[in-house]
Amino acid sequence: MAAVDPVALGLSATPKRAHARAGTGAPEKAALALLIVITAISILAPLLAPHSTTQPAAAGPFHSPGHGTILGTDELGRDLLSRVLIGIRTSWFSALAVVASGILIGGAVGLVAGICGGAVDSGLMRVTDLFLALPGPVLAIAAALALGPSLLHALLAVAIVWWPWYARIVRGEVRSLMARPHLDAARIAGDRGVLLAVRHVIPGLAPPIIVTASMDIGSLILTLAGLSFLGLGAPPPSPELGAMTAEGLTYVLGQPWISLVPAAVVFILAFASNIAGDGIRDVMADR
Amino acid sequence: MLAARLAAALLILLALSVIVFALETVIPADPVRALLGPSAGADALSAERHQLWLDRPLPVQYLHFLGNALRGNLSVSLTTRRPVVRDLAAFLPATLELAACAVLLAIVLGTTFGLVTARRRSSAIRLGFIAWASVPPFLLGLASLVVFYGRLHWFPGSGRLSAGLTPPPGPTGLLTVDSLLHGDFAALRDSAWHLVLPAFCLAVGPAVSVGRTLRSSLQSVLSEDYIRTARAKGLSSRQILLRHGLRNALTAPLATLGLQAGLLFAGVVVVESIFAWPGLGLYTARAIQGVDFPAIAGVTLVLGTAYVIINLVVDLLQSAADPRLRRQVTRSVGRVRAATQDY
Amino acid sequence: MNVLEVRGLQVSFPGGLSALRGVDVTVGPGEILALVGESGSGKSVLALAALGLLPSSALLSGHVRLGGADMVTATDAQRRAARRRSAGAVFQDPMTSLNPTMRVGRQVAEVTGSPREAVDLLDQVGVPEPGRRARQYPHELSGGLRQRVMIAMALAGDPALVIADEPTTALDVTVQAGILELFRELRDSRGTSFVLVTHDLAVAGEVADRIAVLYAGRMAEVGAAGDVLGRPSHPYTAALLAARITTRSARSRPLPTLAGELPDPHNPEPGCAFAPRCGAAQQECRTVVPALEPSPRHAGQDACIRSGQVELLADASGLSEGPGWQRPSTSSELALQLTGVNRTFGRGRRSQQVLRGVSLDVPKGGAVALVGESGCGKSTTLRIAVGLDSPDSGDVEYGHGGRPQLVFQDAGASLTPWATIGELLAQRLRNERVPQQHWRDRTVETLRLVGLSERIAERKPHQISGGQRQRAAIARAIVVPPVLLACDEPISALDTTLAAVVLNLLGRLRRELGMALLFVTHDLAAARVVADEIAVMVDGRIVERGPADQLLDRPNEAYTRRLVDALPRMSA
Repeated sequence: MAAVDPVALGLSATPKRAHARAGTGAPEKAALALLIVITAISILAPLLAPHSTTQPAAAGPFHSPGHGTILGTDELGRDLLSRVLIGIRTSWFSALAVVASGILIGGAVGLVAGICGGAVDSGLMRVTDLFLALPGPVLAIAAALALGPSLLHALLAVAIVWWPWYARIVRGEVRSLMARPHLDAARIAGDRGVLLAVRHVIPGLAPPIIVTASMDIGSLILTLAGLSFLGLGAPPPSPELGAMTAEGLTYVLGQPWISLVPAAVVFILAFASNIAGDGIRDVMADR
Repeated sequence: MLAARLAAALLILLALSVIVFALETVIPADPVRALLGPSAGADALSAERHQLWLDRPLPVQYLHFLGNALRGNLSVSLTTRRPVVRDLAAFLPATLELAACAVLLAIVLGTTFGLVTARRRSSAIRLGFIAWASVPPFLLGLASLVVFYGRLHWFPGSGRLSAGLTPPPGPTGLLTVDSLLHGDFAALRDSAWHLVLPAFCLAVGPAVSVGRTLRSSLQSVLSEDYIRTARAKGLSSRQILLRHGLRNALTAPLATLGLQAGLLFAGVVVVESIFAWPGLGLYTARAIQGVDFPAIAGVTLVLGTAYVIINLVVDLLQSAADPRLRRQVTRSVGRVRAATQDY
Repeated sequence: MNVLEVRGLQVSFPGGLSALRGVDVTVGPGEILALVGESGSGKSVLALAALGLLPSSALLSGHVRLGGADMVTATDAQRRAARRRSAGAVFQDPMTSLNPTMRVGRQVAEVTGSPREAVDLLDQVGVPEPGRRARQYPHELSGGLRQRVMIAMALAGDPALVIADEPTTALDVTVQAGILELFRELRDSRGTSFVLVTHDLAVAGEVADRIAVLYAGRMAEVGAAGDVLGRPSHPYTAALLAARITTRSARSRPLPTLAGELPDPHNPEPGCAFAPRCGAAQQECRTVVPALEPSPRHAGQDACIRSGQVELLADASGLSEGPGWQRPSTSSELALQLTGVNRTFGRGRRSQQVLRGVSLDVPKGGAVALVGESGCGKSTTLRIAVGLDSPDSGDVEYGHGGRPQLVFQDAGASLTPWATIGELLAQRLRNERVPQQHWRDRTVETLRLVGLSERIAERKPHQISGGQRQRAAIARAIVVPPVLLACDEPISALDTTLAAVVLNLLGRLRRELGMALLFVTHDLAAARVVADEIAVMVDGRIVERGPADQLLDRPNEAYTRRLVDALPRMSA
């Protein structure tokens, strides 16, 4: 493809997609590789963890990182590396699960609303907009508490406030695809109903959904870790990164690693997902 | 038009009350038993149940709940054993002060980030933005607590005021404002000092989001045809950026700011519990520990209302910035918002 | 003293694309120069280079003198000052070229300084109620008014030169005539010079004092408007003139077309860029780059080494003319019959009746053109005719044959982006219940019929060129010949030479396949070439209908007469 199109030059002073092309460099590839490693860790975590996550290790409590334990031990003498590994597994799979549920529920709602249009559309979108007009994280806290502390309930609470995004995006995309001439052309060619949707609408939804989901995982990791920090995840002694940070809060000035190590891992997870998400968006924008 | 938006906002608040009520009824624990304690007899329980209208059909219960809420009657907190409304009134000013500071800081920082980086397409800036957006609020709180309080002793690590000082009496409950009104500069300085770390920790997330949205929205505006027209007129790049670029680029970052308010409220809970800031967030954190749903329900109603009001203001600001939006009848506050997701 | 002087200007972009390859041109005071060329000729790049508005990645050499500065070598600040002092600009789409969040008065006053002057300028460019309009936003104005605001803005600060890039392309014919008239008035009243960039020779002929014709980044011919249009001395100019679709184009045989395509701007071949398409080209033409020299035929200049030696025009200009059309076989049977069709959009106070009792029939094998300006309801009629929309009241009936098909204005966008051309054709074959064993043959045969190779069947729309997409869209429409082929402005976005090719293709297909044609357009000349009959539409009604030539020569209705009069005419 030409770097500058003289026809486009007449219409626009600077090429609009220069930004998209500038992306997808080494950081994005590194992040993507890291995410693959994270997925592998998540799957293999129980095998990789050197010690029990609930029983004290030999080193004793408040053992600082290094000196025989890689990341040190916590106030009860449990091996932090083992707990963090299992924490990554929980964090990563939870975020993926909520994204998947968002795509399924929101995607279905958005697709139905967008394709049916009319009263169905405005009814569904009003409900969606209602959820979007309320502070999702606050509702998630209330819902998680109402349902009682467990990981499943926390995920459910977040999923409840998360799907409307997908409904909005999918619906918007369906509407804009439906307004494109190719849909009219397909109608004239004789395609109707489900056939029309399957051939001429649904394949076009994959790119925006992939982009949204990949950009979303980072903020989900943060949100879920926040709930866990507030005590709204699995009850102790389950090793969750947010809860581990909260438990270490008492000792933060003397033994900061107990809190900071799991918090830093949350950061790494979110950072890698966000960069990879950005890279995926750029790749899709270039297609 | 304003009337239509107000009506929409009221409808959303009504929905909020339904949601809170619904959550209250799905709660597995028996609220009356929790209130009266394990020793209460069956008679006392059913009397209390009748007193609280809990023996009526659900729709009646809801109307009762709504009527009470409108008159400022919420239930009694299970942890403090006081009416939730009194608790909220006591804890709200501290949060208001903190959140207002954080929002102002976020706007200033975000706008600066956006404007300064708009014309540079470097990957370092992008990575920087993404990195800051990936920091969990509790890591930020803890790290700044460990470094700036624990190691460097630059800022205080907890509370709103140092132990030796007496808080100024009223009228707003915002310590900085009150001490200014009373001319108490020692208290002003001290309370402002206490605000720095928590406000900064809260502001970073929204500031980064606003900055990032402003940057990408400025970048797309700067490639519009009317910017070429402005250049053809012979305007300087500064004039073009401020006169023709900024206002057209405002819609998306304003929407982001409205959205970020929701995340900021959740951040308040985390940051207040790290810095022992005696506001709604700390109240919420304690209510979570004590499985005190009435308290959480009260907080949810207050924050939900605040969120709806903030977004109403955002809507009005957006149509002030872009005359094209004025004609459109807004279907709901969520409308323009969806457009900002893919920045 | 010239207001603009371009000398040896070369512009290229990273990636090896060379847009201008040594261009000389001058604009005198109080003169309108039309810069004519097809897309890819470099005319817009030249306009932007004159204003110093090319992106910083562009590589320039040569000289562009504007208001005492050389826009090629000057610093940013000097270029800005030169633009401010000496030049104004008008761009193609006034909607996107005006700041949507600033009142138009302020946008005009931004350069002049005082709101009072802004109102005066709006008055001068013919904006009614300038005081009130100045306080409005662009979206509150009509397209024609917006373009007048752009012109007022360009005139603010009283520059010696206004550069207008396709200023009327996005406007209706009658509005276009008003804007062109305004250019002439301003030249006379204020002595302002204009550079008018356009792809349309007729628009140039309407207002220009001089015309410069660009081809593939080089100047082909420059001269007084009457000379260039009346006695063209460059084969390309002659070809452009002959390929133009006018109200006098022959209807009995295919339009003359120019063979070949524009040269690839990435790998320009040596010699004259037009040589590969030129009927008069010799061996020398393919090796020597012709210089711009005095023309043997008029007082201007041309860049053709053969211009003095051969008798030019039709035979030498590379144009091919086919044998005459056979008469289409029409019958008394109808392919489409609309009776008393009404259509209203919206409800209550905002409702708008778009069609008011439209009755229209197209005989089998016949061709009817529906002509009107934007908003007259012609597109809605078309959508109803092909079944994309249904009337509130009234009847739509079809004759026997495949279901009606539509060729869209934006043919590329009418192809599903993720499907291959072959799949799209197959979908229609399946829907029309053609047995599967015939699909392959039908696909290949149809692609060949529209002039595409069978390999295109495996490609997706974004993997083929714009012209190929247009043909592929037509192929899908005719793979099962429809009873009626409707066309929605199929040539309005195309260059002159391409438009003729598409019209010829449509004419041939309808004769070979016996389809009826319903052709919707705003262009009376194209309507006349394609159709047997023309129907004129205003405000949701068909006001006049008649045989094509008769309707253009002796229009009955006042509105039709206005449309005919607004057609730009060659002053030659």
